[in-house]
Amino acid sequence: MIRALLLVLTSLTITTAAVAKEDCLSCHGQKGMRGYVDRATFEQSAHGRFDCIKCHLDVSGYPHAKVLKVNCGSCHFLGREGAPKEKAQEYKLSVHGRALAAGNTVAPNCQTCHGSHNIFRAGDSRSSTRRENIPSLCSKCHSKEFADYGTSIHGKEFIKMQNPGVPTCFDCHMEHRIPNVGDEQWMLSLITQCGNCHAEEMKTYRKTYHGKITRLGYANMAKCSDCHGSHTILPVADPDSTLSQRNIVATCRKCHPKATSGFTKFYAHAEESNREKYPIMFYTYIFMTTLLISVFAFFLTHTFLWAYRALKERMQKKGGE
Amino acid sequence: MAEFKRFNAYHRILHVVMAVSFIGLVASGMPIKYSNAPWALWMTKLLGGYHGAALIHRICAVITFGYFIAHIGYVLYYIGIVKKFQFNVFGPESMVPWITDIMDIVNNFKWFLGMGPRPQHDQWTYWEKFDYWAVFWGVGMIGVSGLFLWFPEFFGRFLPGWAFNVATVIHSDEALLASGFIFTIHYFNTHLRPEKFPMDTVIFTGRLSLHELQHERPLEYQRLVAEKRLEEQETAPQASWKTDTGILFGFAIVLIGFFLLILIILGQFYY
Repeated sequence: MIRALLLVLTSLTITTAAVAKEDCLSCHGQKGMRGYVDRATFEQSAHGRFDCIKCHLDVSGYPHAKVLKVNCGSCHFLGREGAPKEKAQEYKLSVHGRALAAGNTVAPNCQTCHGSHNIFRAGDSRSSTRRENIPSLCSKCHSKEFADYGTSIHGKEFIKMQNPGVPTCFDCHMEHRIPNVGDEQWMLSLITQCGNCHAEEMKTYRKTYHGKITRLGYANMAKCSDCHGSHTILPVADPDSTLSQRNIVATCRKCHPKATSGFTKFYAHAEESNREKYPIMFYTYIFMTTLLISVFAFFLTHTFLWAYRALKERMQKKGGE
Repeated sequence: MAEFKRFNAYHRILHVVMAVSFIGLVASGMPIKYSNAPWALWMTKLLGGYHGAALIHRICAVITFGYFIAHIGYVLYYIGIVKKFQFNVFGPESMVPWITDIMDIVNNFKWFLGMGPRPQHDQWTYWEKFDYWAVFWGVGMIGVSGLFLWFPEFFGRFLPGWAFNVATVIHSDEALLASGFIFTIHYFNTHLRPEKFPMDTVIFTGRLSLHELQHERPLEYQRLVAEKRLEEQETAPQASWKTDTGILFGFAIVLIGFFLLILIILGQFYY
């Protein structure tokens, strides 16, 4: 009875003036109320200083109709001063954004990942999008990928929290951008992403045919994940690795269907200048380089001396005339 | 003016086929070797993307194997049927290197340094013989390693996988040697040397003038005179449109070669 009276009273005041946060919380701040908002959490959140109607644009007083989903883009749009605008645009072009636009009802919108009244800055431990929370956040929909990731060396290290550089979902799938997994430019860009940590491996990969062709922009060629796997990636020494003695033939056969175990003795990260690891390549390289230098040393000397003599004779001839 | 036979139609056609397929191989292979160079991307696009470049490379490779086999056939035909096995393998008409070549090298260097007269050459000079045999070496090395890389699954049945790493080193380094050699040394020794600058047309006309025969290949001239074969070597000049086409083609190939040489040198900085 008192509550009903209170509602009537507040409604009288807020139809005329701007709706203040306190006005809304007088109802929605109460536990059990439909659309309950935890005041303490909200006030500490990134948007805690704003009035509710800053986001709930469809509410202008009381009583109000069913409240619509908030459109974050009303502030976080491209071109607005100060807003993290690229993110909104990136999201729109992502698989998530495009699925939503196409009418997919389970496709995530901003709130699915960021929350609504509990949005914290990414550095805050309470933030759903803080680095540590990313795999469990994505697992809300991608449970199989999350399970796979947990078995990988990256996932294991991530859970132990011993290696802050270890990649999570976002490092490869690119936060808001989340391109289609078939996107060739994205697949090619992942090589450099792996190379951020595995620099030596990327350098040696780039010396091989696979690495050179992918550098020319052709994705239909062995990239890191084609051999090492992606969500289930393991060190080569691990018997479960795609490149272990047990599995390597099957892995090579993905592209080379008639690969044999002899075939798999190919060095996918070979470097001709490394004598310890690749002695035969090294001595071949030394032989070829010696041959090249000898031939050029001989013939360039030959050519320059020839040109010198021929020009000199021509000048003498002219002088004699 | 009488002219004298040096290259027959077979020789001239073979040279054109070699030149075109060689340019095709270098142009389509170098973007991969120097994939890091800024020009590699547009060069690949120019050749129809990676698949286009790969196709060009393989077509030119097949042509290379073709002319290689054709030439071996020609040599057998020439020695067996034309010369009825009376060919002197170590004589002046042969491409086989001989002691005279060593002496010519020494004497030529002496001449370069002003320490002696210019040596007199016969039908084939030592640098021409080098060019000739270098093709055997080059096609052998690049051809075999190239086949490994073209059909890795087939060769993987009897070869360990690291053979493809070794083949890559050979293919790539030999390609640099061959293209670097052709686009500098061969171009100079034949076309750009002061007597012939800017081009020796003999490979396109197949004919030497009497002056060229007497002055550049005096031993051959004297030999032909002594053997009374000079007249048999005499021939009418080639139709001028053929010569003009040949020269035009020659200039195009030389310029493309220089262009590729510049790309290779640039690529070396990014390798």
